[in-house]
Amino acid sequence: MNVIECNGLTKAYFRKNVLNGLTFTIEENKITGLIGRNGVGKTTLVKILAGLIKETSGEVRVFEQHPFNNLYTSANTILVDDQMFFPPALQLHELLEVAQSFYPNWDMELAQRLLQYFSFDPSHYHQTLSKGRTSTFNMIIGLASRCSLTILDEPTTGMDEAVRKDFYRALMKDYLAHPRTILISSHHLNEIEDILEDVLLIKNGKTLLHESISDLKEWAIALQGASTVVQKWLVERNCIFQRQVGKDTLYAVVRDDFTKENKEEALRGGVEFIPVKASDLCVYLTNDTKGGIDDVFER
Amino acid sequence: MSSNVSLVETVKKQYAFKMKAYIDAFSSLVGIQFIAFLFSLGGGSSSMGTSDGYHFELKFYSADLVIIFTFIWIFVTAITITTKPYRNQDFTFVTNRMSSSLSNILFLLSASLLGAFTAVLSRFLIQTVAYFLLKEDLYIASVMTSEMMIGITVSLLYVFWISSIGYFVGTLVQIHKGFALLIPVIVIGSLFYDGFMQRYAMLLILFQFYFLESSMVLFAIKTLITTAVLFFASIAILNRMEVRR
Amino acid sequence: MILNPDDTKPIYVQIAEWIETEILNGHFQSDEKVYSQYQLAEMFTINPATAAKGLNLLADEQILYKKRGLGMFVATNAKEAIVHKRRSGTLKQLIQELVLEAERLSIKESELLEMIKAARKKEGSQ
Repeated sequence: MNVIECNGLTKAYFRKNVLNGLTFTIEENKITGLIGRNGVGKTTLVKILAGLIKETSGEVRVFEQHPFNNLYTSANTILVDDQMFFPPALQLHELLEVAQSFYPNWDMELAQRLLQYFSFDPSHYHQTLSKGRTSTFNMIIGLASRCSLTILDEPTTGMDEAVRKDFYRALMKDYLAHPRTILISSHHLNEIEDILEDVLLIKNGKTLLHESISDLKEWAIALQGASTVVQKWLVERNCIFQRQVGKDTLYAVVRDDFTKENKEEALRGGVEFIPVKASDLCVYLTNDTKGGIDDVFER
Repeated sequence: MSSNVSLVETVKKQYAFKMKAYIDAFSSLVGIQFIAFLFSLGGGSSSMGTSDGYHFELKFYSADLVIIFTFIWIFVTAITITTKPYRNQDFTFVTNRMSSSLSNILFLLSASLLGAFTAVLSRFLIQTVAYFLLKEDLYIASVMTSEMMIGITVSLLYVFWISSIGYFVGTLVQIHKGFALLIPVIVIGSLFYDGFMQRYAMLLILFQFYFLESSMVLFAIKTLITTAVLFFASIAILNRMEVRR
Repeated sequence: MILNPDDTKPIYVQIAEWIETEILNGHFQSDEKVYSQYQLAEMFTINPATAAKGLNLLADEQILYKKRGLGMFVATNAKEAIVHKRRSGTLKQLIQELVLEAERLSIKESELLEMIKAARKKEGSQ
């Protein structure tokens, strides 16, 4: 079953398109990473999915229903981000009780154990928490609510390294025990890639790539060698990224569509094949220019 | 496993949540009524005179001021709960716009009931204090329980009616911040304009439509219909609002 | 073992290699059940689909076999298959790189062999 279906989804603010014909589907119980540069519309997308804002045009379905202003979507979806707003009059333990009253799958024991593990004082107030602590508390709400669709928008903002590790481990353990559809948005893939099944890469409000994480690691390959030789192999290939290294060495990233014979021939010609890390590939793909920052300094 | 939810259930949960989360509204009611109570002890309108060599001073101890302060309180409270932080905290948990509005209205009804009840009863407190602490000779108009009930009902109708005005004004401001300026300008402007034209103020005529109604039943119908219309309009407007968070 | 996220090898390949090493070290005998995808996911904090891909890789190479509904088991001659594979694959590649590097440094063949012998001696004395 598809939990999320988007077809030509567009959202415009003041006539400027933030989402620009986004099309993708996400199957049930998959963990998908929503990756893209800051400001490409990740947050806009998740707010549409959570039913907070309305699309300008195109089609969007969450649990086969239109999410905007939909009670069913709201009850089965939780959006965790650093802008979750809690009433200032309630203490942390009271907030857990409120969440319990709203979410049918809520696990109070888990919530309280996490609260204790991360040494929160249950009688404190949400407004007095620091940025990292706020993220941690919001994550506890997000995990314990066990919503069929759990959306985490930059969930680790402000968390220190140890808490991040704990957080991803807690997420994976709870996911294994209670599988659900999880969408994690982040601008750095390497932090989350281990726990992902799929990656959805967004650029300029459009789907750039939607692949399984293992395929993404083999999706592209880097060629390194003497410029003239490498250039020969780049003919009729779409170069994703290239950089001059040293005197006459070229490092170029292309889609990996080389046959075994191709590779052997290239190797004999002195070309080295280097795998490209998924996170690096995403950075290259989302760059607007082939050379990245170096292009700015080219004259 | 996805779960189905009903609107009624969600409204109930949101209402229970708001009665806890909006506790500050109730504490401000206590504060405001206490201030009004202190003012009331000074005595309302008073008249003095000399008759047959006796000098007399007549003071009226009533709860009028407490009721007026309660009106202001519910108006401000109703506007407050339409603002962004309050709407955002609804949407942190399960809701849609309809359940958010309906639970707000239920909350305002509860607040109105409490406000009206305490305001009417404060009359006895004021008179008791005036008698024992201020050593005044009191002539208390005796009240029957039925009159008390009518007093509370009328106050409730007023307070709830004012809450619907506040809620509607707050909703308009949520559509466009310009209304925050426009509404006071229209209200005060119309008073000045009518004054300038040397005619009876339109706004007063509007209010007299409610205040000068002598039939209890007609009064109830007038206020309740207005209240319902304003709440419906607010729900309809808010139902299309995006939550930016 | 902790997975190396900076390794350019995909995680599922790292998982497959780790299970191979476990078999080589004798932690799993023939016809013994290996970890399930969910146990692996829990152990390494990775996605169970990735873990499954690692297991399937070994099943394709007939190092593991599937019992429907029961999980993955170590094949009878898994150890030999792994040794053979590493010899022809990993080791061969390492030697190729070694030879290439030696050529760049213009080290003679006899000299290279001496270095290998010395390294083996050192390993043996430990």
